[in-house]
Amino acid sequence: MASTGTLAAGAAGLPDILVCVFQRGAADGMNSIVPYGDDDYYNLRTRIAVPPPGQVDGALDLDGFFGLHPAAPEIKTLYDMGRLAAIHATGVPHGSRSHFDAQALVEAAATDKQFLDTGWLARHLVATASPDDRPFRAVAISGAVPLSLLGAADPLAIDSIEQFGIGDAGGGSYEDTLQALYPDDRPYAGVAQAALTAIEELAIADPSQYSPDNGANYPASQLGGGLLQAGQLIKSDLGVEVICVDVGNWDHHENLPAVLPGSLADLAAALNAFHTDMGNRMEHITVLVQTEFGRRAADNVSSGTDHGTGGCAYLLGGGVIGAQVAGSWPGLGPGDLFAGEDLAITTDLRDVLAQMLQRRLMNPDPAAVFPGYAPQPAPELFLAK
Amino acid sequence: MKAIKVKIPPFDRRRFLALSGQGLGYSALVASLPGCGGSGGGGAPAPTPAPTPAGLPPASAEVLAVQRTSFGASQGALAEVQAVGIDAFLEQQIDYTTIDDSVVEAEVAARFPLANADPATLRNDFPNNFQNIVEDLVGATLFREFFSPRQLYEVMVEFWTNHFSIHLINGVIPLLKPQDDFAVIRPNAMRSFAEILHASAKSPAMLYYLDNFLNFAGAPQENYARELLELHTLGVDGGYTEDDVKEVARCFTGWTIDQNTGQFLFVPILHDPGTKVVLGTVIPPGGGITDGETVLDLLAAHPSTARFIATKLCRRFVADDPPGELVDEVAAAFEQSNGDIPTLLRTLFASDAFRESGDMKLGRPMEFLGRLVRAFNGPTDFPADDARLYFAVLNILGQIPFYWIPPNGYPDVAGYWGSTSGFLNRWRLALALNVPAIREYFPVEQAVAGAMNLAEVIDSTVDFVLHRELAAEDRELVLTWLEDELGIDRDVPLDAATVDALAPFVVALFVSSPYFQLR
Repeated sequence: MASTGTLAAGAAGLPDILVCVFQRGAADGMNSIVPYGDDDYYNLRTRIAVPPPGQVDGALDLDGFFGLHPAAPEIKTLYDMGRLAAIHATGVPHGSRSHFDAQALVEAAATDKQFLDTGWLARHLVATASPDDRPFRAVAISGAVPLSLLGAADPLAIDSIEQFGIGDAGGGSYEDTLQALYPDDRPYAGVAQAALTAIEELAIADPSQYSPDNGANYPASQLGGGLLQAGQLIKSDLGVEVICVDVGNWDHHENLPAVLPGSLADLAAALNAFHTDMGNRMEHITVLVQTEFGRRAADNVSSGTDHGTGGCAYLLGGGVIGAQVAGSWPGLGPGDLFAGEDLAITTDLRDVLAQMLQRRLMNPDPAAVFPGYAPQPAPELFLAK
Repeated sequence: MKAIKVKIPPFDRRRFLALSGQGLGYSALVASLPGCGGSGGGGAPAPTPAPTPAGLPPASAEVLAVQRTSFGASQGALAEVQAVGIDAFLEQQIDYTTIDDSVVEAEVAARFPLANADPATLRNDFPNNFQNIVEDLVGATLFREFFSPRQLYEVMVEFWTNHFSIHLINGVIPLLKPQDDFAVIRPNAMRSFAEILHASAKSPAMLYYLDNFLNFAGAPQENYARELLELHTLGVDGGYTEDDVKEVARCFTGWTIDQNTGQFLFVPILHDPGTKVVLGTVIPPGGGITDGETVLDLLAAHPSTARFIATKLCRRFVADDPPGELVDEVAAAFEQSNGDIPTLLRTLFASDAFRESGDMKLGRPMEFLGRLVRAFNGPTDFPADDARLYFAVLNILGQIPFYWIPPNGYPDVAGYWGSTSGFLNRWRLALALNVPAIREYFPVEQAVAGAMNLAEVIDSTVDFVLHRELAAEDRELVLTWLEDELGIDRDVPLDAATVDALAPFVVALFVSSPYFQLR
C-alpha cells in the first residue's frame, strides 16, 4: 500500500522510530542475563541461580562471563546477529523500592519527584515538534497513556487498532455533532479531537490489513499483541515516532524459577517476531526494553527476589551496536553491593538514552530531556545515523 | 417520513459481549488483565449560576451531592434529596444502617450465593467453581453498587476495597477474597481506620496476596510490610526508612493462613521473638502476635497516615488535586477522632470545597456504567444475566472490580482514565444502546416518554439522563443535527414510534458528551 502521508520517522535520513517496552513489576536482571562468571552470584542465590553454560538447564553463553537464561534463546539469536545489546547493572538511580514511585521516576527519567509532571518521551517529542507533525507521533498500545508520554501533544492510547472506532465511522453527522460537544475550551477537547481524527486516519490506513511478514510468529500474549500492533502502525506510515508497549507480571517475590522462564520466553519470542516482521525497516527502528528497578542480589526464602536497585535493559535495532553486554560489572561481594544488598548501578540509564536520542532519534539537545541531570558519556551502544 | 440516517454500530449483543474478547472462562479471566429537573421548575427565576470549571452550566447543589456520594443519580435518590434537603440526605447516607436494603440483599443472596461463602465451603468444589466465584463476587459487588439504597456506604466499600486492593485472579485468592469482602471490608467500611486496618492485616486474602503467609523468623518476606507502610498507612513520603520496612516485616513473621480452614493463623514458632524498632518505637522481645498489632496501632495513629487517608478521601469526593486546606481539615479530623470514618465524611461534606466541586471529577468506568444503569433500572426489574453484561462492559472500559493487578488499587485521577481509547470505548458503548438486545437492559425510550417533537425529545432526555441544564449552544447544536437529519423542524409533532426510534441515538449522544463524563 502506498503511503499518503509525510514520513516523520523510520526512514533513511530521518529519526528512528522508538518502541519502548516496559517490564512492569521490576524484572530480575540477574536471572535473565546471568553473571555466571561471578562466584558470588551462586553464593547469593542458592535456591534460584541459573547454572553456568554446559550444565543441565544452564545459561546460554554470551561473552564468557554473562549467559542468557535458557528460556529465551531468541534473545541470543538476536545478540549473535549483532542486533541486540544488553546493559547490566543499569537503571535510573532514583533510590525508590516502591514499584509505583519507581515506575513514575523511570518514566520521567528523573531522580527527583519534582519532575514527575512530564515524561521523558514527551519532553523529547515536544523538543522535536514541527508544524508537519501528524496526530500519530506518540501511541501507547494500551487503554491509558503512560507517564512517559505525559506532556506530549495529545498522545494516543489505542488498546486495540481493530476496534478503534465508534461503529461505522468515517465522518458521519453523529461524529461531527459529538465532536462539536467537545469545543476547544472544554476539558478533553484535545482527547476527543485526537480520538475522532485517529478514527478517520486509521479507517483510511487500515493497519489491521497488515499480516506479519517474513513468517514472523508473535506469541498470543499482551506483549506479542502489543508489538504486532506496533508493527502494523509502523507499516501504515501514519507518522508514528514513539510507541509504548507494556508487559506485566515481573514482580516475582516467590517461586521465581517456575515463573520467570515463561515471562522471558514471551519477551524473547515477541522481540524476535517483531524483528522478523519489520525486516529492512529494522534499520530505522530502535527497541528499548526497561524496567523500574532490579531485584535483590540474594534470593529470599520463598525462592523469589525482593526489591533491589541495579537491573538490566535491552536494546534492539539496526542502529544498535549489538552482541555486547555493556556496562561495568560492579561485583556481588559484600563490599560491592549497594546498600549492602543490591546490585549497584554502574551505568545511569539516562546516559544510554541520551546517546540514543542524539544518534538515532536525531535530537540535537538530548540533555534538555533530562531535567536536573547532565548526561555523561555512555558505553558505545548506537551507530550515528 | 424520511428515516433518520444515523449510522448503526455494526454489532449485535453477541458481538457486544464478545468485545471483551475473552468470554468468561477462568483462563480467559486470567488473560483479560489485560437540582432535579434540569431546565424545568417554576417559581421566581434564580440568578444564573456560574459555570463549572469545565465551562458548563452547573448541576444543582442537590444533584451534585447525590452524584458525589453514589454510583449515579437515580430518580429515587433525587426525589429523596429534594424532599429532605442536602444535609439530612447526607446524614442519612452516613447513618446507613437506618436505610433498608433488604430488597437488594435478598436479590444478591439469590443471584450471587458464592459471594457470601467462606474459604472452606468454596474449597469443597475447588477448582471447578473458580469461574462461578469470580462471577458471583463481581456480580454481587456491582449489583450493590448500582442498586443499593445505601449508596454512600457502597462508595466507601469500593473506596476501601481499592485502598486495600487485592487482585482476585491470583492463585487461590478466589477462595479467600469473598471472605475479605464480607468479613473485612464491608463490616468496617464506616467504622474507624484502625479497625479496618487490623482486619485487613489478618485477612487471609491479604496475607496471601502480599506474601506475608510466607514471612517467617530468620527468613523475612517484606512484601506486605512495604505495602503496609507505603500504600495502606503512611504513604511513600510518610517518613519511614528501609530499616523500618525490615523491622515491620520481622514484627509480622508468623502471621499466616491455616491451610485447613483458610482462616488467619498466628504460629508462635515462626515468629521472630527479638527486639524490633519501628519508627523509633522499641518493641520489646517476646511480644508474639502483639508485635504486629502494636505496629498497626502505631501506624493508624501516625500523622502521616492521617494525611495520606485524608488526601485519598478528598481526591475521591472533591477533586484529583484537592485543596490543601481541605486536606488539612480532614487530616485534623482524622487525628482528633482516631480515624472515625463518619467524622471524616461529615468534615468533607460540610466543606465549601465539596459543594463547589461540580465537574471536577471525571467519572471512572464504574461510575459511567452506574450512572447509566441507575438512570434506567431498579433492582427487581433487571434481566437475570446482568452480571455478564456488567462484566463485558467493564472489561472493555478497564475497571472490573478486584481486577487491578498491583496493590495500589485503580487510579482515582482523570490523568489515567481520560485517554483517547478511554473516551472512545465510552462512545462505542453509548451507541450500543441502539442494539435491541442491549436496549432490553437499558430501556432508553423511558428518557423520551411523552415527548411530542424534537425539542421535547432533547429536553426530556437531558432531564432524564443528565439531571442538569444544557448550555444553550449545545441544545441548539443537537437540535440542528436532528432537524437536518430528519428534514423536519423542531416543533413539528412526531408520532410515538418515531420518538422511540430516536431515543437511543439522542441518549447515546448525551451519554457520550462532557456532561455525562464529568461529575
